[in-house]
Amino acid sequence: MDNTFLQNKKLLLVDDEPELLEMVTAILSDEGFGNIVTAVSVKEGISAAQNEKPDLAILDVMLPDGDGFSLMQQIRTFSDVPVIFLTAKDESVDRLSGLGLGADDYIAKPFLPQELLFRIYAVLRRCYKDDTPFINLDGCTIDFARAEVHKAGKTIPLTAKEHIFLETLARSEGRIVTVDTLCQALWGDNPFGYENSLNAHVRRIREKIETDPSKPVSLITVKGLGYKLNARK
Amino acid sequence: MKVFSRYISKHLLSFIGLILALVILNIAAFAFTFYNAVSKNFGSISPQNMLKQVAAASSSNGITNEAERMIITNSLWAMYLNMEGSCNWTVNLPEEIPTEYSIQDIAIFSKGYLKDYPVFVWSDVNGLLVIGYPKNSYMKITSNYYPIDTVRKIPLFFLGITVIDLLVLFLAYSLSKAQISKNTEPIISSIATLSEGKSINLSINGELSEIAVSINKASNIISRQNTARANWISGVSHDIRTPLSMIMGYADRIVKDKDADNRIKEQAAIISRQSIKIKDLVQDLNLVSKLEYEMQPLQKENIRLSKLLRSFAIDLLNSGLPDFYSLEVNISPDSENSMIECDTKLITRAVNNLVQNSIHSNPKGCTIILSLQVTESKLLLTVQDNGIGISVEKLEELKNKPHYMESTDDRLDLRHGLGLLLVRQIIEAHHGTIEIESRPHEGYKTNIYFSGISKP
Repeated sequence: MDNTFLQNKKLLLVDDEPELLEMVTAILSDEGFGNIVTAVSVKEGISAAQNEKPDLAILDVMLPDGDGFSLMQQIRTFSDVPVIFLTAKDESVDRLSGLGLGADDYIAKPFLPQELLFRIYAVLRRCYKDDTPFINLDGCTIDFARAEVHKAGKTIPLTAKEHIFLETLARSEGRIVTVDTLCQALWGDNPFGYENSLNAHVRRIREKIETDPSKPVSLITVKGLGYKLNARK
Repeated sequence: MKVFSRYISKHLLSFIGLILALVILNIAAFAFTFYNAVSKNFGSISPQNMLKQVAAASSSNGITNEAERMIITNSLWAMYLNMEGSCNWTVNLPEEIPTEYSIQDIAIFSKGYLKDYPVFVWSDVNGLLVIGYPKNSYMKITSNYYPIDTVRKIPLFFLGITVIDLLVLFLAYSLSKAQISKNTEPIISSIATLSEGKSINLSINGELSEIAVSINKASNIISRQNTARANWISGVSHDIRTPLSMIMGYADRIVKDKDADNRIKEQAAIISRQSIKIKDLVQDLNLVSKLEYEMQPLQKENIRLSKLLRSFAIDLLNSGLPDFYSLEVNISPDSENSMIECDTKLITRAVNNLVQNSIHSNPKGCTIILSLQVTESKLLLTVQDNGIGISVEKLEELKNKPHYMESTDDRLDLRHGLGLLLVRQIIEAHHGTIEIESRPHEGYKTNIYFSGISKP
């Protein structure tokens, strides 16, 4: 899926370590994010959130004048901005998932740049609808807004299930998605026993999107695990 | 250990006391049973003595005043029968006793009773002296023979007493033994727990409470030290994380920098790889120390292990596993829906450590197979590779040598790595068992068995 519309979002980074802020800013700029605001304390974080109205906040848990949890609670009083926590402690991860603070995700330090970017994209995509919801595959283009595939000058409609299936894969474009996640998205419950239905869907989708359905290049099966959707290079 | 010696001597003394009491009781029982008979049969007013004294103090014609007084004071009576069967004289004779007797009368009462009075006779040349005792004072056995069971009762009495004594002694022994074990058992088991470096809280009453206080003190010290150690490790690992994030971030940026020359990129890639190793090590170290000191609360939920394995596998593949490694996941149909109570994060961690082990031991690549199946009502999770494997000696080492967290030996080569220790701890925390199989050039295989499978 095209990420440029996400790269225009404004990000707020709060961490007490200026060098880490500098590095994360550099990683994000390399990726194409142009709109980044930083803060080094709870106080600065609140005023930045108020004045800059970011689209995503990435908060460190340990801050000099408080912790990221209370910062988030204070931001929540005036904004519903999605929040990702950066944490240097395993316990914090447990607390985040246990307390149900309503954070959108967390990243444990130390992290790899691609992991950080993946989480940021995932949260942004979940929270902000794509204005141009297209994905260009090898030989076709999927228009998610109209639930159509444009292939070789023809327009092929997608069923509701096919739409969900492809959207789920497109959200993690280039990455494998487990059969469990796909079944959850399609049927919303215990996926075992749906294997045949899933295979049937995959066959039909391939006929719609692949140039040669018997030699798929866009919708790839990863044996025993799941599927992967490859965008056009 | 003053308390212990006091405790033991108290028990021994009470035991000795009991034996003494039993002996005294036996003597008393004997005396009580037989004294009466002895005194009545052989005492001064026994029929034997009375007959002798009265016979000496009387004749067919009369009795001395002294003997008469003696008969009256002892509530006895006496009479002297001549050869014709009539009384020559009587002393204190009850009204109901006749004064004339036939031969038959004499033959009958001489062996037994006269009008229910037990009577005893003394014969001399002129006649028969008869002394009567109060009713019910003596039982006369009117026959000269005894039923054999009566005679048998005498040895039986002794035997019975002995058996009862032994039983009482045995009962006292068992009770005292039970009491001692009851009081010392918690102490011994808590000392055993302490010796494993775990903390306890012992609560006992009575003489040994002092020992409980000392043991609890020792336990507090151990638990404080454990907490301090775990906190120290956790603190260090926390402080390493932020700088390591920066090292990893910048190294990765250099790798992706289009302007950097290849040699620099390669070096940055090495920094990146080594940083990931440090990251894993720091996380393992923290988790191991927390599991070791029981500071890691398990967040168990009922999950399908098949789902966990797939999710782990795609995370690994998505993070970019080099091409010379291939990862297969084989989940048997019967295990697909098997659920176990487990901490998802920890189990994923254990699987990851095993897979990373395979990757690190086979830098030239290998196939890694994760499989799940049900065997003998247990869920078997296998992580195996087809890589270089390890030698028999090395395998023995892995199985038997302590880890450096558990070893006081400072020779590093005697201790094995952190990763496997963590796997073991995680599996133990889930009450599972673990087996390692490996041969040189035939790969490395770890079997993990979980019990308590449930179906959704």
